[in-house]
Amino acid sequence: MAHMHVPSEVPVRYLPRSKNASMIAGALFLVGLISFVVRLRQDPDSAWISYVTNWLYFTSIAIGGVLFAFATWMTKAKWNWSMRRVSQSFVAFLPLSFLFLLPMVLMLRENYFPWIEMMATDPIVQKKVAYLNIPFLVTRNLVGVTVLFGMAIYFVYLALRPDMGLTEGSEENDPARASWRERLTQGWMGQEQEEVSSYKRMTTMAPAFVMVYAVVMSIISYDWAMSLEPHWFSTMFGPWFFMGAFWGGIACTALWSLYLRTKHEDFKHHIGLQQRHDIGKLSFAFTVFWTYLFFSQYIVIWYGKLPWEQAWIVKRSDPTSWGPFWLLIIGLCFLVPFAGLLGRKAKMKPKLLAFFTSVIVVGLWLERYGVVAPALWHEGDPVFSVWQPLIGCMFLGAYLFSVRWFLSTFPAMQIWQPMVDPETLEAELVHAE
Amino acid sequence: MSVATKDRTARGALTHPDLTRLDDVNRDVLNVLKTPGKGWWAMLLISLAGVGMFLGAWGWQMYRGLGVSGLNSPVGWGVYITTFVFWVGIAHSGTLISAILFLFRAPWRQSIYRAAEAMTVFAVMTAGLFPLIHVGRLWHAYWLIPYPNSRFLWPNFKSPLVWDVFAVTTYFTVSAVFFYLGTIPDVAAARDRATGLRKKLYQVMSLGWQGTDRQWHHFGKAYIFLAALATPLVLSVHSVVSWDFAMSIVPGWHATIFAPYFVAGAIFSGVGMVITLTVPLRKIFGLEAYLTTKHFDAMAKLCLLTSMIVLYAYLSEFFMAWYSGEEIERTAFWNRLFGDYWWATWTMLTCNGLVPVMLWFKRVRHSIPALFVISIFINIGMWFERFVIVVTSLHHEYEPFAWGIYRPSTTEMMIMVGSFAWFGFWFLLFTRLIPPIAIQELKEVMPPPMRKQKEAH
Repeated sequence: MAHMHVPSEVPVRYLPRSKNASMIAGALFLVGLISFVVRLRQDPDSAWISYVTNWLYFTSIAIGGVLFAFATWMTKAKWNWSMRRVSQSFVAFLPLSFLFLLPMVLMLRENYFPWIEMMATDPIVQKKVAYLNIPFLVTRNLVGVTVLFGMAIYFVYLALRPDMGLTEGSEENDPARASWRERLTQGWMGQEQEEVSSYKRMTTMAPAFVMVYAVVMSIISYDWAMSLEPHWFSTMFGPWFFMGAFWGGIACTALWSLYLRTKHEDFKHHIGLQQRHDIGKLSFAFTVFWTYLFFSQYIVIWYGKLPWEQAWIVKRSDPTSWGPFWLLIIGLCFLVPFAGLLGRKAKMKPKLLAFFTSVIVVGLWLERYGVVAPALWHEGDPVFSVWQPLIGCMFLGAYLFSVRWFLSTFPAMQIWQPMVDPETLEAELVHAE
Repeated sequence: MSVATKDRTARGALTHPDLTRLDDVNRDVLNVLKTPGKGWWAMLLISLAGVGMFLGAWGWQMYRGLGVSGLNSPVGWGVYITTFVFWVGIAHSGTLISAILFLFRAPWRQSIYRAAEAMTVFAVMTAGLFPLIHVGRLWHAYWLIPYPNSRFLWPNFKSPLVWDVFAVTTYFTVSAVFFYLGTIPDVAAARDRATGLRKKLYQVMSLGWQGTDRQWHHFGKAYIFLAALATPLVLSVHSVVSWDFAMSIVPGWHATIFAPYFVAGAIFSGVGMVITLTVPLRKIFGLEAYLTTKHFDAMAKLCLLTSMIVLYAYLSEFFMAWYSGEEIERTAFWNRLFGDYWWATWTMLTCNGLVPVMLWFKRVRHSIPALFVISIFINIGMWFERFVIVVTSLHHEYEPFAWGIYRPSTTEMMIMVGSFAWFGFWFLLFTRLIPPIAIQELKEVMPPPMRKQKEAH
């Protein structure tokens, strides 16, 4: 494997602004919003299910991508130097995600949480009252998400700051870029000093973020998915949920990087064979890992055959309703990407990599839905309807717009790179390839 | 950060700042294989005495029967199974360090992976003894092997215990092959300096290695393929071990998180054991230039990460037991914390959750004595974790009339302690026979011997 070479001068390149892209994102958002309103009048329960599952999905891939930025920073990875900013850019969706969360915590009550009504009669649910109650639910979600998103945004702020000293004059007469540079360079200490300070702070906060991520994402998964079947519980549920989010973040980083490649020669050059091979390997590895977690949960429940525990799986494997849907999820999350990304070519060829990471991204989208929806599903309802993607358009539009805005307002490749880090074991393994 | 001095960027300079010449590596590492000092002999004698105790206690148990152990109804699994799981866990970090870190291109593995792999092989060898000990009648141990026997009964393939036989044997085979493959070039280097019987032995072991381009090419390919093949094993083996417990519906065992929780715990204890072993190795054989604080720092961080995962699993188990609202689940975990075996649980929580908190501090990570002490705590804590899982769950199952207390007998404790001696015995032999640090990989990261040092990068 060639030694990871980071060029000493990274070119300042932005994703070109595009009216068309903004229009498309805006149109998607509007379509989603209108669909949601229409659906809300027809069948509010189903509308909210689509809303929550899409929120879970887009928040997962956004925060998962930021976690990927954190994880590679913490492990001092250099191979992804040209993709760091892509993973960081997902942070732009987080403020929107917070706004999307507000109606959920404020408006969803008996229409979403079955345990509220069960609390009156069900002795088992009554024992959970210390956790399953609305004031605590609202508090822990708002506080947790604020802390998690706040840390993510602060991290990306630190990563952006030193870049701002290096972009002066290369902003292509874009007033937004210049004004953001001004905002981000308040209290400027000088280039060298800024890099050192950012590096230190980012490195210090990274492990803390990882812990907060695990806790907050577990809580989100318990509250918005697991507790919908109040008798069911699984210790694996949190890890399965947040590792899935991490995986989605990696796959989306791959997709956005491949998109960048089509926009400029420099992106094409720097998001090279090595980068694609490595992110392909990670996408593949997490495919296996997702399956491992899924299977480890499944087999323990299947083997134990406890009535309250297996109900969760029985519902999702019913051949007349959710069974085929879950088979599709397993196909998209495991079989297709596993077989497809096993070889080296698929990881390196941009089109193939884009195809298989898209399969993962779609599979994960269905998975978030398949985890939540069966719990609130009634006999006779359709398993999946066109409203799910339609309402999803609202989130998709917001996500595409915010990430695109970020990549065209800030340099899409991080310019300052911690080149020689005294902590790193600067060395290579020659015979690895 | 952005400005680098020349010597810092030189290959290998940061990993091994005190090494400059390639022939130093051969000399220093092969020196380990020379006639051992008094310290080595003393340790060998101690471990031989321990092995004697081990065999004696085992023999006594075979003579008298399993009654000499404290095992009885309701606690049919005790120290033996605890120690079995402990050693399988120890075996884990070897493959993690040699395979997964290799695929992740984490260069700090190169100085420790040989010792870690050897540890893996010996730990599985130790673990493998415990099912044999636990069956009581050793002469019936072959019943574990799945084949249609004369009574036309197949082993129950639905039993996780049978899966375990497959998992552990596969793991042993692959890690032994991986270990052996990696040693070939180094054994050849030792062969070229050895004389007499030792030379003959190395000649056989090195399979005619000459160091030609072709051989290196094949070696590199074989190594990376084996690494990729061994990687799933890191996850699978301890997952299967965890299912020995999780598949049953014993309260405290039946939890979905068990597989990744056991894997993380195994890596945690394994890296702890690597620290426990490499600290004396470094001291006794004067390998300070090869095992630097950088390596220990990296190992400590790995311990910290896995400790956090294990802690997450503990907490989510306690939370989920409460959240379940099931009386049995709640009682099981209450009993774990405040019941008859509270001391075991609190030892586990202290050693695995609290003590590793110190690793957050760089000063601790850079202090080798401190790391050594912490690693011992980790070993103790991880042994207790298995003890807690095995014993507290069994002694307090569903029916109150079937509750009971288990006290390990002296024989059991002798066998448990003796297993460490047995493991140590093999490890001591290893340090005499095979270069304990990978010469060839170290050389790859060192500055090449050139008349004029080329500009790095």
